[in-house]
Parts: sequence; C-alpha cells; structure tokens
Amino acid sequence: MSITGNWNVRMKTPIGSINAVFTFVEADGSLTGSAESGGAVAPMRDLATIPQADGTTTVTWSQSVTKPMRLNLDFEITVTGDTLSGFSRAGRLPRASVEGSRT
Amino acid sequence: MNHVQIVLFPAFDPLDVIAPFEVLAAACDEAQSDTMIELVCEGEPRSFVGGTRGLALTATATLDPTKPGYVIVPGVSGPVDGDPDAGDETIPVLLARVAASNLMPLIRQSLDNPDIVVATQCGGGLILGMAGLLDGRTAVTHTLGNDVLEATGVTVVRARVVDDGDLVSSGGVTSGLDLGLHLAGREFGPNVAYSVERLFEYERRGTAWHTERSSTTTIGPHREA
Repeated sequence: MSITGNWNVRMKTPIGSINAVFTFVEADGSLTGSAESGGAVAPMRDLATIPQADGTTTVTWSQSVTKPMRLNLDFEITVTGDTLSGFSRAGRLPRASVEGSRT
Repeated sequence: MNHVQIVLFPAFDPLDVIAPFEVLAAACDEAQSDTMIELVCEGEPRSFVGGTRGLALTATATLDPTKPGYVIVPGVSGPVDGDPDAGDETIPVLLARVAASNLMPLIRQSLDNPDIVVATQCGGGLILGMAGLLDGRTAVTHTLGNDVLEATGVTVVRARVVDDGDLVSSGGVTSGLDLGLHLAGREFGPNVAYSVERLFEYERRGTAWHTERSSTTTIGPHREA
C-alpha cells in the first residue's frame, strides 16, 4: 500500500484539533515527506515504511512543527487504501489521534 | 536606571503578576534603588482582565525591549480540563493565544537584548516555548505543563527556579515569590533578598537550579560571556 501522494489530515493537539496536508514523494527509490499546517511547512525526518502482513503499510517519522505551536512530534500511522490513521506523540505527552484521507 | 517590566495580557494569572511585583518592590525599597517597576503590555497601555474571577489590572506603559533590566512574563489562569474542539478555553488554549500574539516579537527582542533578563513565571515559560523562543534552552513551567514544555524543544529541569543566564524561569503559581526573591538576590545581593524574606514572612523553598554557578553571584543583569 503506497503512501505517496497528498493527504488531508486532522490531528489532535493540546490546543485542539488542526488540519494539515501531508505530502509524500518517492523518487529514485527514496521516500520523502512534508506536512503543511497554518501556512508553515515542516519536513519529515527519519521517514520509514513497514509493510504489514495484512497488506497495510505502517509509516513512521519525526517532525518539528511551528504552527499552531512549536512542538517536536513523532508519528506512527497506518495506510489502508485511501485512508490513514494512527497517532502522533509529543515527547512524554499521551499520544494523539491522526486521521486522514487522500486528496 | 534599571527597569522591571511585568507583562499583562488577557487571562493573566493575578498571583503570577503580583508576587514578583511585591517582592521586587520591597527589594528595591530595601536596596534604596530607583529601579522602575511597572506593568506593561504590547500596544497602548490599558486594563486587562485576568483569568481568575475577572480581577483586572492596568498596564501603565508599553513593553519596551530596549530598557535594561528584567522582563517578567506571567502565565494564565483558567480551566485545566476541557475540550478545545468544543470551544473550551483551557489553559493550553489561552497560553497558545498569547504565544501567537504580537507580544512575542517584543519578547524575542528582549531575549536578544544582552541588557535584559527575561523571567517567566508559571505558564509564562510555556508561552515562550509554544512561540518557539526557548528552543535548546533550559527552563521550567507549571508542573502540569512541563511535558508540553519539553516537547517544544526545551530541556526541562523540574526545579522551583531555573536560572539559565539571561532566561530565568519558575514553576507554578506560588513560585512567583521565589522568582522575585531570586531576582532580588541577583540584582541586589543576598542580604536584600533575605531582608525581604523576613519582611514577607516567607522563606524560599525548593531548588533554585543554575546553568552556571557564576550567575548566582552576578549583581545586575547577567551578561552572557
């Protein structure tokens, strides 16, 4: 299940849910990604994909965002067809849900 | 002349403002210092309604990041629990609102000014963290906010007062008394701080943590080497 493409995502933060757009690009066999929210674009670091036995794909990465607030976040989401779901975690805070669909 | 500028904004926590204000006022009296202590804000001086039962205070000047001395940023008071998506104005929501306001460029200028020490009280530290102003710094905020503060890129030391040179942060609510006494000690020396402790019938408690021990004996605004 490929994650490449654009995704409209809704995610919880300590100050309420926000909308973001995730973009994943595969070029020369390597995957890169970025997330845009509130006009600020943050690159994804340590992006990794893990194919699962049931045909879904788990994707993990880290990113530092500045909007709506400065946060270091770790993501773990699973792609099933045209939807993704999972969570983000900011440091020791409880994990927060992330839901999205392809644009 | 040195200045102590204590910043007001909507939903400020009254004690975060008043505790350092009173301690530093008494310290200046004791030291016979002409240090100016005022409540300030971004923009035109005006009244602000605090977050506790509508108690209001009036800023009498505009925050000026060129005045040497101290800029103190309080936290907010409001509901701890609630669903921001349902419109609940929880403390994180209120703090984030200040972090996104026009006040932050002035705080950034204050941090960049070598003649100013920026001090935060309670959630004030988290405001600066949310605004991205404390990346890589060492600081503390209210105990309920320390995990979030850490996630903003701050090295959190869970002490009562954390002295990181030109940034001094303090923990929750009553630690504003300790922040005031710590700054009084930095500015006027231990005898003045001790004298205020006796006058206020309050003894400093908890840990005052220092990035550099040298900052404990600095008289006047600390300057980074």
